[in-house]
Amino acid sequence: MGPDQRFLGVLATSPFRIAIVYSIVFACGAAALLGAVDFAVSRVVDGSTDNLIEAEVQGLREQMVVLSRSDFIELIEQRSQDQDVRGAVYLMVDPQLRPVAGNVPAWPKEANQDKWFYFKVSVPYGDETREHEMRARPFHLPGGYRMLVGHDVQERQDVKSLMMRGLIAAVVVTLLMGLGGGFWMGRRILAQAGAISAVATQIMRGDLSQRLPVRDADDEINKLAREINTMLDKIEQLTLGMRTVLDSAAHDLRTPLNRLQATAEGAMPGLAPGSPERRVLERVTSEVDHMRSTLDALLRIALAETGTVAREPVDLSELVASVVELYEPASEERGIALHSSVAPGATVQGSRQLLAQALANLLDNAIKFTPDGGHIRVVLRGSASEPEVIVEDDGPGIPADKREIVLGRRVRLDEARKFPGSGLGLSLVAAVTKLHGAHLVLDDAGPGLKVSLKF
Amino acid sequence: MNPQTSGTVYRADKQRFNACKIPVMHILIVEDDEVARDSLAKALREAGHSVDVANNGLDGLQMASSMGVDLAIVDRMLPKLDGLALVQSLRATGRKIPVLILSALGDVDDRITGLRAGGDDYLTKPYHMSELLARIDALARRGEGNTAETNTKLKLADLELDRMTRRVTRNGKKIELTAREFQLLEFMMRHSGQVVTRTMLLEGVWDYHFDPQTNVIDVHISRLRQAIDKDFDKPLLHTVRGAGYSLREDE
Repeated sequence: MGPDQRFLGVLATSPFRIAIVYSIVFACGAAALLGAVDFAVSRVVDGSTDNLIEAEVQGLREQMVVLSRSDFIELIEQRSQDQDVRGAVYLMVDPQLRPVAGNVPAWPKEANQDKWFYFKVSVPYGDETREHEMRARPFHLPGGYRMLVGHDVQERQDVKSLMMRGLIAAVVVTLLMGLGGGFWMGRRILAQAGAISAVATQIMRGDLSQRLPVRDADDEINKLAREINTMLDKIEQLTLGMRTVLDSAAHDLRTPLNRLQATAEGAMPGLAPGSPERRVLERVTSEVDHMRSTLDALLRIALAETGTVAREPVDLSELVASVVELYEPASEERGIALHSSVAPGATVQGSRQLLAQALANLLDNAIKFTPDGGHIRVVLRGSASEPEVIVEDDGPGIPADKREIVLGRRVRLDEARKFPGSGLGLSLVAAVTKLHGAHLVLDDAGPGLKVSLKF
Repeated sequence: MNPQTSGTVYRADKQRFNACKIPVMHILIVEDDEVARDSLAKALREAGHSVDVANNGLDGLQMASSMGVDLAIVDRMLPKLDGLALVQSLRATGRKIPVLILSALGDVDDRITGLRAGGDDYLTKPYHMSELLARIDALARRGEGNTAETNTKLKLADLELDRMTRRVTRNGKKIELTAREFQLLEFMMRHSGQVVTRTMLLEGVWDYHFDPQTNVIDVHISRLRQAIDKDFDKPLLHTVRGAGYSLREDE
């Protein structure tokens, strides 16, 4: 795994994905919360400002009735200068919108009707000026004069933008922390999952003594790993038990067979060749041979099925070519053309001996059932890591409804009884294919049998 | 059929077990199964060897380490000390005598375990006596003459094989062989004068450890025989009935 792949691997882990989802949810939550606070604050502050201005407008309207225009102008000038009413703005203009009195230099163009509006005013700050936002309300005076009363709301704007900035920062930080945390968790999980899958691969190769790495934590992965390890303990015990049973069965059958063979062979030199006694003993040894080959086949099937066989990289291309080469003279003797096409470089994890025997059994069968002068085709194709071996003959084939059962133990079809053999050949092929995680398919070669082993 | 020699051993059997001159050895049999042990001892004595027996692993180890034993045949499952442990201990003390392991176990990987423990050859029960005799003969002669790994030129009568140039000649005449026939001939020449069984060939030339149901090896041998013997008066590649083949100069 390269660094890029590892990075992408982390992005695909469930903790990282969960972290992304949660970060987004939390960010949205934070945004909604701050939005609500901002809305509430605005309402309270705007409401009180508006009330203040409304009261001022009301007061001025009343004054306007009792005061002359010049007194009114003076009143406005006075209010404009008043230090106590900080942030309050006034402007009175004539019908041509020229300023008459107040502390705003010009009639803002935003003030069209008698509605609340915002506008900006330059406010001196020491040597420099700053644009301040004002909220104001214009109204009409008699004689075409107009007037506006407003209030500096810059402070509120400042608070608001500060809050907005804080809000954005909070969202960004939440997202970053979520992603970072998710990435860290993802890497942790990935490291552990990587270690677990590495061990699992070794276990699948037949090394049942391996155990998954467990950290000193009580999270679900470690719990799962511990449970799997307990399960592996049990499987190892069972396999070991199975192996012991197989070994003792083998021992208990091979030992008496060996005695029988040794006794028969030991007695033979004392008997004249061709004598009835000698023929009986020769019969005995040939039956021992037969029992031995059946026993060997059964034991190998059992070993393959229990998976207690050491596995190593096997050059399948070399193996297929060499088995074909082993059978080539035998098929030629029967006038059978043995064609082969072997793609180079195919490698599988497994037992070379068992694979060789499975292939040999297929060729044995093919030669046995192909009529003299027939054809056998052996093909190795597909990618180097997922090769497919095909053995095709033009013998009688196997009827479609019997293809499943011939893979079981000791099934010999009636038509096959006239041929020698233990009837375990295809069962061993099936067990060996299964051990190697391959698919065995029997098919019609039209005419003949097509056997395919897909790794 | 009449007895042809004194005693009760017939010539045909004598030939099967004793096809060639087997070097006389002092052989130790470590085997707890009495029937197997006795018949093995009898067959080896008839083949001209002197034999000692032990019926458990500890005695076996002691005898193998102390006496002038040339070769040991060790059963895998023994009382007191396991056969594999025996071989390992023997190798740990630096004893280099050839060891043939007999096993009544499952096989496939057991063979590798046996050879890894220090065994030189491995035979699964039940075995033919001819197979066992051929194998101990091969073990006994390892490293002498043609069998030496370092020898690049092998010679038997007028038959010559050069491993470097991959050239085979008989009586100076070049013989064309396929790669596998060459390997087969090389194996036979390394074991010239000995009986070579079909399983020995399958193991030594193809590295397969199973018995094919058809006579594949016989057909390979008859092809090789065509190539090296057909145009010459004296055949070199002989069939040893009931045992295997032998490449030798006689008859």
